[in-house]
Amino acid sequence: MALPNNHGYFGNFGGSFIPETLYSCLEELKKAYARAKKDKSFKTNLDYYLKEYAARPTRLYFAKHLSAYLGLKVYLKREDLLHTGAHKINNSLGQALLAKYMGKKRIIAETGAGQHGVSAATVARLFGLSCDVYMGEEDMARQRMNVFRMKILGAKVIPVLSGSKTLKDACSEAIREWVTSVRDTYYLIGSTFGPHPYPMIVRDFQSVIGKEARAQIIQKEKKLPDFLVACVGGGSNAMGLFYNFFKDEKVKFIGVEAGGLSRNLNSASISYGDIGVLHGAKTYVLQDKFGQVKGTHSIAAGLDYPGVGPEHSFYNDSKRGRYVTVKDSEALEGFKMLSELEGIIPALESAHAIYYLKKLAKKNKGALVILCLSGRGDKDLEIVQSYLDAEKRG
Amino acid sequence: MNIKQKFQQLKKEGRKAFIAYVPFGFPSIAKTKDILLALQEAGVDIIELGIPFSDPIADGPIIQAATAVALAKGANTKNIISTLKALKPSLKVPLALMTYYNPILQAGVAKFFSQMRQAGACAILTVDLPIDEAHEYRRLAKKYGIETVFFITPVTPKERAKKIIRSASGFLYYISVTGTTGLGKTLSFTSLARHIKQLKLQTELPICVGFGIHTRKQIERVWNFSDGAIVGSGIVKFIADNHSKRNFLNRLKKYVKSLKPD
Ligand SMILES: Cc1ncc(COP(=O)(O)O)c(C=O)c1O
Repeated sequence: MALPNNHGYFGNFGGSFIPETLYSCLEELKKAYARAKKDKSFKTNLDYYLKEYAARPTRLYFAKHLSAYLGLKVYLKREDLLHTGAHKINNSLGQALLAKYMGKKRIIAETGAGQHGVSAATVARLFGLSCDVYMGEEDMARQRMNVFRMKILGAKVIPVLSGSKTLKDACSEAIREWVTSVRDTYYLIGSTFGPHPYPMIVRDFQSVIGKEARAQIIQKEKKLPDFLVACVGGGSNAMGLFYNFFKDEKVKFIGVEAGGLSRNLNSASISYGDIGVLHGAKTYVLQDKFGQVKGTHSIAAGLDYPGVGPEHSFYNDSKRGRYVTVKDSEALEGFKMLSELEGIIPALESAHAIYYLKKLAKKNKGALVILCLSGRGDKDLEIVQSYLDAEKRG
Repeated sequence: MNIKQKFQQLKKEGRKAFIAYVPFGFPSIAKTKDILLALQEAGVDIIELGIPFSDPIADGPIIQAATAVALAKGANTKNIISTLKALKPSLKVPLALMTYYNPILQAGVAKFFSQMRQAGACAILTVDLPIDEAHEYRRLAKKYGIETVFFITPVTPKERAKKIIRSASGFLYYISVTGTTGLGKTLSFTSLARHIKQLKLQTELPICVGFGIHTRKQIERVWNFSDGAIVGSGIVKFIADNHSKRNFLNRLKKYVKSLKPD
């Protein structure tokens, strides 16, 4: 049976836990998306922009040096080469076309690392929509370049001062604005989370990653990979890679969560969280025993979120996927490893997945792996510099 | 007295309900006790006690800030229950709990309802639990004798409103605006009146109006076409501005009385 079911559930996870005000716009969205899915011209249009504007298909690159170093056979799915520098554009193009299809003139978005904000601002320019991006004040400070990019692109970046001032709070604030201007505003959510139908819509738009990768690996290796590895924040690049391999039972899925600094301060919702309800979905949530959502931390702003897409929670509980953690310091090592061995500077989010290959290699010598290189590292250079400086000072 | 009896009494006396919202634990757990008793003395008909949640997506800045203070003071589902139990002999105003779903889910829905009932609460409003997700919740609420209030908004389609009416008990909460809680909203009383009149044709349940209501004049107008007005952010702001002043509780009583039309 295709998931989610009619109520938006992936097994025990998902659903639609929203203030009543949002009910009719989610119904409207469900209907519009069902129509768009059947509409050939919608698909033709999206394919055109994915190809000509975003530069799809992305390459599946055999990482020769990394492979030799680790004793694995690693292919990189090069989402980092897309326009705006990360996989986020796949989803933003899809949803912006959907917003237009629905006759909306304004989009709002939340952003953590700023990658989704930038991709939303970009498609807003492209399609003539107005765009407000909610971003935690702390993230604005650590991702200054992306804030500037959004502004150049004509988006309004609205600082969020509540809570931990990161992605979670940006998301809450975007929902508040959405509840307020529900009649004319489209909420362009940035990952596979939120109430039904968002986790499904974002997954579908990102699934182009795995669809291409599957055909490419068969062409190059004449077989399916042993492992798929991707970092998991909200879960969109990982789900995008995994989804088209779902029925290939021998292909193992590994989602890498941000282990942050410690067992107590991280963003690893599946690994360290409990089932709860956050931002419209039932899923694994980092929370205390009274159901208050905990503060999170990751060196990668794009992973710094206390929830996770409900479909990943389902993959975890049904054992279709395995979810692991990689700490800040390890992600930095992954960052350096790929830069030095392959001449490719990864986003810190993706660097979590890269480091995990080192652990994977220990027991799986020679395994064939596809890693989703979800984004490039340009946005992270300042952060990496400050960590390296701190390391040097001891 | 429970909510049903309260509305029967009001009807008999030809009055409308004045409902006050305050978050538990703001400005502190100890002061919440005094505030609840002061609201009772000021003649509030029903108290909505907010269970603070870390991510209040339907609340504006005033209640967000109060919630953050309450959480910092250690408010949680456990000490709400113990506080209410301690107050039970003196607090006679019907008490409804207003919350987000996650704290209930973590406490365990059945356990939460049974303990809240024992502590004296008689109704529950869960902001992010629409009827579609509420089957088990409603079943358990009924079992433990808790009324389940649900929300209707200016953008709720007619068919949907019918379903909500069928799922609700205690009263219906009509959200006056599309938006979050807070002050300075532009309320459209004519369309509010029209919408509520339509709903009244379909149900005997009392319909109360909340969000953005904080002046005596607004309450007067809302009372004309509904069964009650809910004041939240206005009272919370008053508490925030005045709780460290001398005679705070008397001031609060005076303020609440001043909001209540004769
Ligand atoms: C490069 C990159 N990778 C991964 C992520 C995490 O998001 P998701 O888990 O939805 O792929 C982000 C989020 O900002 C990102 O910018």
